[in-house]
Amino acid sequence: MNRKIISLIVCLNLAVFSGISSGQDLLIKNGTVLTVTQGTILNGDVLILNGIIEKIGKDLKAPEGIKIVDAAGKYVMPGIIDSHTHIALSGTNETGDAITPEVNMRDVLHAESPSIYTALSGGVTMVHTMHGSGNPIGGENIVLKMKWGKTSEEMIVPQAYRTLKFALGENPKRASSFTIGTPRYPQSRMGVNAIIRREFLKAKNYMEQWDRYLKAKKSKKAAKNIVPPRKDLQMEQLADMIRGKMVARCHSYRADETLEFIKLSKEFGFKIACFEHVSEAFKITKELVEEGVGISIFLDSWAYKVEASEGIAYNAAYCTKKGVLVSINSDSGERIRRLFNDAAKSMKYGGLSADEALKLITINPAIQLGVEKIAGSLEVGKHGDVAIFNEHPLSAYTACQMTVVEGEIYFDRAQYLKEREEMEKKKKEEEKKKGEKK
Amino acid sequence: MRTQKISFIVSAFAAILLLALISSARVGPAYAIVNCKIVPVSGPPVANGVIIIRDGLIESLGTQDKVVIPEDAEVIKADGLHAYPGLIDAHTNFFIEPPKEEPGQRATAAVAAQPEEKNWAQDASLMAFDLLKPKKTVVDSLHMVGITTILVAAEKGIYAGQSVLLNVNGEKAEAMVIKNPVALHINFTTERGRYPSSLMGTMAFLRQSFLDTSHYSTHKSLFSSSSRGLKRPEYDPYLEALYPFAVEKRPVFFNCANLEDIKRASRLIKEFKLNSFLTGANEAWRVADLVKELNVPLLVSLDFKPPFTSIYVNQGEEMKKKAEEEIYPANAAHLHDQKVRFALTSLGLNKPSDMVKNIQKAIKAGLPREEALKAMTIVPAQLLGVGDILGSLEPGKIANIILTSGEIFDEKTKVERVFVDGISFKVKQPPKKAQPTTLDLTGKWKAAISGPMGELEVNLDIQQEVNAISGKISSDMGQWDITDGVLSGKELSFTISATIMDETIELTFNGTAEQDSIEGTISFEGGSAELKATRIPERSS
Repeated sequence: MNRKIISLIVCLNLAVFSGISSGQDLLIKNGTVLTVTQGTILNGDVLILNGIIEKIGKDLKAPEGIKIVDAAGKYVMPGIIDSHTHIALSGTNETGDAITPEVNMRDVLHAESPSIYTALSGGVTMVHTMHGSGNPIGGENIVLKMKWGKTSEEMIVPQAYRTLKFALGENPKRASSFTIGTPRYPQSRMGVNAIIRREFLKAKNYMEQWDRYLKAKKSKKAAKNIVPPRKDLQMEQLADMIRGKMVARCHSYRADETLEFIKLSKEFGFKIACFEHVSEAFKITKELVEEGVGISIFLDSWAYKVEASEGIAYNAAYCTKKGVLVSINSDSGERIRRLFNDAAKSMKYGGLSADEALKLITINPAIQLGVEKIAGSLEVGKHGDVAIFNEHPLSAYTACQMTVVEGEIYFDRAQYLKEREEMEKKKKEEEKKKGEKK
Repeated sequence: MRTQKISFIVSAFAAILLLALISSARVGPAYAIVNCKIVPVSGPPVANGVIIIRDGLIESLGTQDKVVIPEDAEVIKADGLHAYPGLIDAHTNFFIEPPKEEPGQRATAAVAAQPEEKNWAQDASLMAFDLLKPKKTVVDSLHMVGITTILVAAEKGIYAGQSVLLNVNGEKAEAMVIKNPVALHINFTTERGRYPSSLMGTMAFLRQSFLDTSHYSTHKSLFSSSSRGLKRPEYDPYLEALYPFAVEKRPVFFNCANLEDIKRASRLIKEFKLNSFLTGANEAWRVADLVKELNVPLLVSLDFKPPFTSIYVNQGEEMKKKAEEEIYPANAAHLHDQKVRFALTSLGLNKPSDMVKNIQKAIKAGLPREEALKAMTIVPAQLLGVGDILGSLEPGKIANIILTSGEIFDEKTKVERVFVDGISFKVKQPPKKAQPTTLDLTGKWKAAISGPMGELEVNLDIQQEVNAISGKISSDMGQWDITDGVLSGKELSFTISATIMDETIELTFNGTAEQDSIEGTISFEGGSAELKATRIPERSS
């Protein structure tokens, strides 16, 4: 077959399955615009130029020829942000060791994972995709935009914090028994705490070693044959934690271990951005607020495992009212398309307002990831990351209709359904033809 | 008296077979290949050409009127045949038998927070040469498609050890070596049940090992320049093995199974300033810009199976099939359009014959035939640093020459004869489709082999399954296997692998069979003999 035809087929196929359209200028017209941080505009427009929100308001004038999306009767909200998931990766846990800060999710991005498209179908435009919870000290995580069809590099959000995964409790305790099959230290909560502490002590020692070396090297009396210390990638990462170049994201369920980890952070002077899951967060809101540490939790899943046994449905709402920065995460490539449903439950369980509920999946996770200047709400100057719903996103009857990242439409439900129908029709016709031949 | 006679015959027979063996193992004599179309690759084709081979090298070549045929040269008439340089397959796992792992050696039971300090997946010091077990059947299958030179690397492990470049001139490893070692081979794989168990762990592991080698090297050089007052570096065989690659920048091959692997390799290449090759790379066209920017040699595999990470495998069976049949075969053509230089390899394919089929697919997908030829001759020769001695037909180069019945890579074209290091090899033809047969030769047979040196009595024990024939042949000279046998209608052919004084030589039989008799000729390098056999009737019980 002619090569050009083949390339064309490839492009068409990609287009069919991804719904990619070109252009980073977009005018969304006449929708109910839920800015999340600046109130709601009825019959409002959002103008995106070069991927950045240029204007929000009524009857906006736009450059001629700009692509227009009619959102009449629909709800326009900022793209949803998932603060904790594991999608678009080739591998989740490095099970070969309990301490693996040297591994980096950036090295194993899987830009062709269909879970990206699944995320888009639920209005998600940005994710924090993480190392698993098998190790007390896991790897470095990464923040991605869901630019389906683009390269892995184009998905990376460079503005986000560098984050390192930690894990407490049952998972790191038991990880070895179901991954490598042989028991591995640590096997208890005290062991998990002790091994993290040990590693930070090693890191401090490592930093001192380098300081001594650099000082000696500068000295006029320095011996010529002074040998530099060994560069250790594990220690380099923990040193970056101590230096404040990275922040901790710590998987923990129980209040006691969470508080112990806060103590560790004070002892070594590293910053915790967020605790993950924390079913017992409602017990320690005072400490969390004092330390300025957020939580990224499930709305459901209370009491689903031993260490979540004291979890409650009201965790998100209660903690929010106490001033903790709360986000709702999916931790899953499937639940990721229903984060708005989860957020809505915080209205039922704890009585959050609609805006408060929306914040759990937009601006709050943006703050936790250090990207609140570019995402998390519809504001002029932020990225044009938008999700459009047919009903209010917190309604039980809603479904995401369109997802836009930086002014580009990456998911369009109507177009997708149309193409799917055509394909099925075509397939049936072909099958019928085959049948007739026989 | 009779015993004496037999032993005389046996030794005469053995002598002739041995003579054949000796002559084939030596560097070939002088040959003059006459009246062929020469395609030198380095220049325009020459019609009615002559190639003179002496001492394993090309002595001269040109048109018939210009090249004098030396008196001592054996003349090989090649009317209607094409002469090409032998093909080079720049990344294979042929001839490798991995070392047997002793049970219990793996440190899986370590109850420790961290695995042992040195946990090398495989040893960078592993030499493919030490694992070589050349086999006649593989040599034949390579010659059958015109491959005369192969780069051989061990297959498994993150560090898969160091490769060797071989001229496929027989089965003696030492005599085959052109270059050893060639490169360190790295796979983006993982270890089971120990660190690194994940791809991200593998990346960290590779980084740390390059860092450690560089640190080790610094320590060593400081110590050797001024050792007083400095603790000596502890000798580390693992880092010693990596030293030539991490510090002296000898070539490192990154096996890239998908486009993300190419990105992973590019990061390591840039971070550690490695002298690298990308191999496999069957998604290279999808990251052509990166590949161009990296500007490293590319050894592109002819394996067209899309990797499991590919977007084309998640869109149903139809798309997957299309990917393998149409999209991935166009990789080489796209790279050629982008002006990226590459060699083609068979990495990932099971049989050399699959390689030719896939070259044809690549050509069909738009790769010009002459570029495909270059990608298997002069380009790999130059990339592997042997462009002065291999890759084209030029005076002074190694006499790796293939004679083909037509244009290379054509579906109908057969490789008729192969010269490797000037040694002539007749090429086994691919087995014809066997005709159905009504005979069943299974059973015991008594036979006589008669040649110029006398007669030898042998016993045959034949097994037949549909058309396939196998079995044993036994005589006073020992018991040998009958292999590759085919019974097509009444036409019978098989191979005897005869072991004489620890050397193996192959005898081929061609003849006809009836239900109770077989007649035909056994041929070997340097002679032939007639075989007549009759069935030993089974005793009725």
